[in-house]
Amino acid sequence: MSQFASRRHVLRLAAGAAAIASTLSVPLAVHAADAPAATFIESVANRVIELIKSTTPGPAREAAFKKVLETDFDLNFMGRSALGTHWNGTTPEEQQRFLKAAASAEAHAYSERFGQYLGQTLSVGRVSPRPNGVSVVDSKLNQSNGQPISIQWEVRDEAGRPRITDVKVEGVSMVMTRRSDFNSYIQNHGGKVDALIAELESRAKQ
Amino acid sequence: MGQGFLKAAAGHLRRSAVLAVAAAALVGGCATKDTGAEDVWDPLETPNRFIFSINRAVDTIALRPVAVLYRDTVPDPAQKGVHNAVTNLGEPITALNEAVQGKAHRAATTMARFLINSTIGVAGLFDVAKSMGLEPSKNDAGLTIGYYAGVEPENGGFYIMLPLLGPSNVRDAAGLVADGSLDPFGIAIYSIWGSTPYWIYAGSRVGATVVDTRVRTMYALDDLEKNSVDYYAALRSAYTQQRAEQIRQKRSPDAKAELERRDNLALVR
Repeated sequence: MSQFASRRHVLRLAAGAAAIASTLSVPLAVHAADAPAATFIESVANRVIELIKSTTPGPAREAAFKKVLETDFDLNFMGRSALGTHWNGTTPEEQQRFLKAAASAEAHAYSERFGQYLGQTLSVGRVSPRPNGVSVVDSKLNQSNGQPISIQWEVRDEAGRPRITDVKVEGVSMVMTRRSDFNSYIQNHGGKVDALIAELESRAKQ
Repeated sequence: MGQGFLKAAAGHLRRSAVLAVAAAALVGGCATKDTGAEDVWDPLETPNRFIFSINRAVDTIALRPVAVLYRDTVPDPAQKGVHNAVTNLGEPITALNEAVQGKAHRAATTMARFLINSTIGVAGLFDVAKSMGLEPSKNDAGLTIGYYAGVEPENGGFYIMLPLLGPSNVRDAAGLVADGSLDPFGIAIYSIWGSTPYWIYAGSRVGATVVDTRVRTMYALDDLEKNSVDYYAALRSAYTQQRAEQIRQKRSPDAKAELERRDNLALVR
């Protein structure tokens, strides 16, 4: 059996990562809470669903995903968080290259994640505004078979426009996981952010 | 699940719950900063990565193909039955952990589920209890230790990559030993019929659990592997975060403390 195979909670973990995936394959949200952040999440979910219905995996879908990511996600903030302490040690040019490569890799990942729409729906629940300007939106991804998956969205208002800064699936934060992933890669490549950028760039081209 | 393994290895480790307590103390002593599982304490990283690579090889050549075959050829109702049955075998231990965590009502619900599903549900093959409104829950001794450890739940002691069983840490590995050694079925079979029937029981239970879990984790793990630049590190982080989240839920169903913690994390970013 594999390292993954045998434990109950790993299962959840899986559900987690999967959800990051399926999240986007979300739904025609029904339970619209009143907060603007909730409405925002619902509209993003609906746009993604439309996107999946109207495209097949390939460059067109990838471009469409990239557009959603660029519009509704605060990619610069997320990228910066994901790079963690290494951000400050890099030149502005490297930072731009990194952000661009990370966004492309993300769009590529999303476009490959979904085959076709499987009827999932996202019900948005409680919204908790935080003093630091971030709203945490609770939601459940309901699947046609299996348990619902819990997804939390962090939404930050930037110049009056809400943007997603993190997605937590069953407790697993996308940004935190990337950060750990990137940080470890950099450390294993002589502390050079450049190596990570090159790797991300080559992946985006695949 | 995995506990079946350790249980097997530890046929007479009946008193190893003591170990778990000792481990809890150790966990409490091992401080790591709360960085949201970015920096998981992993002093054994080199051997851990070595074990991880072996686990992956075993997975690639054996487990994953078996899981794919199972997923694609066994009828869905049968797959569901297997899942229900292995879950049912774990319910007494789940209930025990819930009781130790002071959740008497939840423990009673779990035991009711076990009694109903073991009888009306035909040895656990059907989750009749759920249709009666008795929702399933998950619990284990790793969560119990985390519940009482009094440290940030990201801190489970150092990270351990278990051979075959995968990601763990001091807290959760101790939990596996405790759960496994207290398994009532294992104890009963071993003491009544001896070691051969015990191994048959443990082997088939672990086998069923492993395949069932591998099928259920396939999508997520494939995705994590494909979209990470350092799969080992990404899995380590995801595992740690997920276990921490489960412990937080056991500690307080109210999410206020968690939200405050995240505010702080956001500031550190």
